[in-house]
Amino acid sequence: MALPNFQVHQPKTVEEVLDLLGRHRSSVKLLCGGTDLLIKMRSGAQAPEHLVSLNRVAGLKTISYAAGDGLVIGGAARISQVGKNPDVQRLYPGLAHACSVMATVQIRNMGTVAGNLVNAAPSADTAAPLLAYGASLVAVERGGRRQIKLTDFFTGPGLTVLEPGEMVEAIRVPDPPPRTGSCYLRLSARSKVDIAAVGVAGFINLDLSGKVIRCRLALGSVAPTPVRCPEAEAMLEGQDPGPELIARAAAACVRTSRPIDDLRATASYRRAMVQELAQRVLTQSLAMARGGGS
Amino acid sequence: MKTPSIIGQSIPRLDGPAKVTGRALYTNDLSLPGMLYGKLLRSPLAHAKITRIDVSRAKALPGVKDVITGADIPQVKYGNWRLVPQSQDEMALAVDKVRFVGDEVAAVCAIDADTAQRALELIEVEYEELPVILSVEEATAEGAALVHDESEGNVSLVRKIDYGDLEAMFAKADYIREDTFKVHPVQHAYMEPCSCLAASEEGDRVSLWTSTQTPYIVQCLLASTLGLPENNVRVMKVQVGGGFGGKMELRPWEFCASFMSLRTGRPVKFTLTRADELAFGRRRHAMSIYSKVGFSKDGKLLAKDFQVMLDGGAYNAMGPTATFLCGTFGNMLYNYPAYRYFGRHVYTNKPPASAMRGFGAPQAAFAAETQMNMVAEELGIDPIDLRLMNAMQTGDVIPDVATISSCGFKESLEKVRQISGWDEKRGNPKPGKGLGIGCFSFISGGVFNWFNTKYNFSAAEVKVFEDGTAQLATMACDIGQGPDTVLRQILAAELGIPIDKIRLISMDTATTPKADLGTWGSRVTLMNGNAIIEAAGKIKDMLRPVLFSELDLNQIHDVAFEDERVFVRANPKKGMGFAECVYKALRGREGEPLTARGYYTPRNKGLVSPAFSFGAQVAEVEVDTGTGLIRVEKMYTAHDCGVPINKMSVEGQLEGAIQMGLGYALMENLIMDDKGRTLNTTFLDYKMPTAEDMPPGESADVITYEPEGPYGAKEAGEGLAIPTAPAITHAVHQATGYRCMETPITPEKVLRALGKIK
Repeated sequence: MALPNFQVHQPKTVEEVLDLLGRHRSSVKLLCGGTDLLIKMRSGAQAPEHLVSLNRVAGLKTISYAAGDGLVIGGAARISQVGKNPDVQRLYPGLAHACSVMATVQIRNMGTVAGNLVNAAPSADTAAPLLAYGASLVAVERGGRRQIKLTDFFTGPGLTVLEPGEMVEAIRVPDPPPRTGSCYLRLSARSKVDIAAVGVAGFINLDLSGKVIRCRLALGSVAPTPVRCPEAEAMLEGQDPGPELIARAAAACVRTSRPIDDLRATASYRRAMVQELAQRVLTQSLAMARGGGS
Repeated sequence: MKTPSIIGQSIPRLDGPAKVTGRALYTNDLSLPGMLYGKLLRSPLAHAKITRIDVSRAKALPGVKDVITGADIPQVKYGNWRLVPQSQDEMALAVDKVRFVGDEVAAVCAIDADTAQRALELIEVEYEELPVILSVEEATAEGAALVHDESEGNVSLVRKIDYGDLEAMFAKADYIREDTFKVHPVQHAYMEPCSCLAASEEGDRVSLWTSTQTPYIVQCLLASTLGLPENNVRVMKVQVGGGFGGKMELRPWEFCASFMSLRTGRPVKFTLTRADELAFGRRRHAMSIYSKVGFSKDGKLLAKDFQVMLDGGAYNAMGPTATFLCGTFGNMLYNYPAYRYFGRHVYTNKPPASAMRGFGAPQAAFAAETQMNMVAEELGIDPIDLRLMNAMQTGDVIPDVATISSCGFKESLEKVRQISGWDEKRGNPKPGKGLGIGCFSFISGGVFNWFNTKYNFSAAEVKVFEDGTAQLATMACDIGQGPDTVLRQILAAELGIPIDKIRLISMDTATTPKADLGTWGSRVTLMNGNAIIEAAGKIKDMLRPVLFSELDLNQIHDVAFEDERVFVRANPKKGMGFAECVYKALRGREGEPLTARGYYTPRNKGLVSPAFSFGAQVAEVEVDTGTGLIRVEKMYTAHDCGVPINKMSVEGQLEGAIQMGLGYALMENLIMDDKGRTLNTTFLDYKMPTAEDMPPGESADVITYEPEGPYGAKEAGEGLAIPTAPAITHAVHQATGYRCMETPITPEKVLRALGKIK
């Protein structure tokens, strides 16, 4: 179907973006890569009269890292840009992996990490690793700024706590301490150009004696939203996990998941894969953390 | 005579540069002044009576030029089997009832696509739902609702083959096994969705540009459904972005565009979307297959009982041919002293299945080859040895079908054993890894004529000019597989002129010689190639006298046409340029151009095909036993396609076939809910393998000379699409112990078989 009529605005500053969002409040959407939005508009699922493009907003594509402060990903930073960033590759390998294998080359070149989160698909590939890295979002509106923990961000498929008139200005990811290991594994029927049927991300930080100080595990495509696994995390913290504990923690991840049968996989296969991938993620992350990597 | 050097060369596609730079024109790129945009209203229900249609609001919408329903069109059914009129079961628009989700109910045309779309939404249709039948088992059950009232038990066609004493052979057998297999539907997924543009002229004539494999069939069926003389319908094509069997019938949009163009006097275009294609388009038949085989204890094949139900969907389409061929492919590879086939084409309330690359063979071979591997294991014989013991050879007879005039099957088996490292790798099995084999045989065009053409099966017209160039006019269809290049190679070889001096006029039913049955059944190279050779021979007969009279030659001399010269074979200095020869011949003809036609229809070649290809393929896989994911690491192929005319083209066919076979075995599937609605209507969820999924390949050509083929060639297009799925199935079994009896192989099925999911 043909696209409905709409007007595109090309603001140059965040303030102008917020003005436009306010002015056209009743029927406005932010546009950056358009890789999710335009599909919805073509299918008639959305018909905004105004599109506010972030593509010319100064500074919004920046990715910066500072030791101690961590990573800041601009709201308009492309997925491929994040995946190729040397700091991301070095310190946030799970995120780098997600950004280099999800969707297709063309979509990664146009789509943004912030857009992937705001679109709030249960299968959003960047969500699970960012949850595991303890990321938060910086949301701005005309009245001011607030920081939203990613764990609090998703409320359902396609739904988030973001208010109308609010935009994601940046994603902040804490600096991983020494003795940290992390990774993201995803499964799909096709090797590339595919949506994940199951995704598991993990982050483990060890103390000097090898015990887990902090563990974060997150799942994609197996619940209405990307989810953290508090039960499994609590089982591991304070422990020096061996294969048996890893298997039990993975089983706790399975309990956290709420997968459905759909055309991409059955719920029982997804549950088995949460177990399998969680074990692999924990084993790999522990090996990295023990190897002294950061 | 030696083979001309251009035969066997890897000449890149002459249409390649235009296609890769985006300049090539496809049907949807065409437009005409005043053109209207057509759209189809499709049934949302799988089986229902139409109790009321009201198009008045759609007609009243400004910009709408025509709206038609089944009540407006001539009540003439169509189908490709004209010889069996009761098999013709389709109308462009549904009359009285709909039989699948997507069945065409009404068509509109308007000044732009949006208006046409809005008009569709204004058509009111009321339905009364009928019981929905979604499997061959339901369809053939006692008391099942009928998809077509005329069909008994929803069976539209039965095919039987029976030779040898089946009972006696089974009684003699030391080893008998019975298995049932199920194969799933997949789609052609050609790159270009269907599109057509019709333009009426002089009131009762119509020209149609359409994305088709079979222009002549479209012309005939369009004429009969429009109620026009055949000659009033002209069918043409521009570039066609793939067909694979999915574009070889008259389709509703072709009829609706033509019919509405005649009514409105304006050109009308229809173009389908990918979602239309995946949800409603033609597909490969799902089948339920029962196979019983008997062997002696030393591995000699004695008998086979093969019973197949094809899930035909709502209409016959090319299903009758698939039913026929499935039985023929069930016994083509090996010598069966006794063989019985019972094939039934069954109606269900699904989008119609039709021809698709292999035409009944991929399904038959999946069952037959998988069973062969099971037998080998049970008898403790190497699967390749078991095949060698029973393999078809040159001169073997398939009863009631043909005598095999060339067969490189045994050589293919030996070659593939060697290049795959079969013996060594099977001797050292590694956990999670496996090697498997699948084989194929295929036809080089069909001898059957259910379409009941009055013309030859293939035709070519050659003209030569005094500037040394030639023109080839043929109705043969390049749908991306390469005959626009290969056929010119054959003519270039015959006339001894460079390929770039040959202009091609292709596929216009008004100007190219009658007729050609189209691109399907791997027929074009052999059939059209032979027609071209005949036409070129006649041209040479007209040119040769020039040389004899100019050079005062003894009549015993052979004349050669090579390197743009016409000369005495025994004394190449005696001769003249090709252009000069044509010029002189024209001078002697009082202005009559040098034109000749050639034809080909297979004769005395049995009932199935003039020639058969053979081959064997080995798949090497690695299975992740934690996730069930399968990675095909390498494919090894050895095949006999006769003498390859264009090596690069053959390699392209092989790579494309592996891609399709890989998808068939592991990923592609049309998934339907219990109401008959297709759920995966995008390429995100209809999972075709991408370039990154493609395994590296190694291949060996087994060159045989096929006496019936041009320069010894036979088919290389479809046969290669057959062995990949059974080879992968076998390899996965070797790697994991999981034997797939119901395709596709999914990670979940592997894990269930391994007991990792309950």
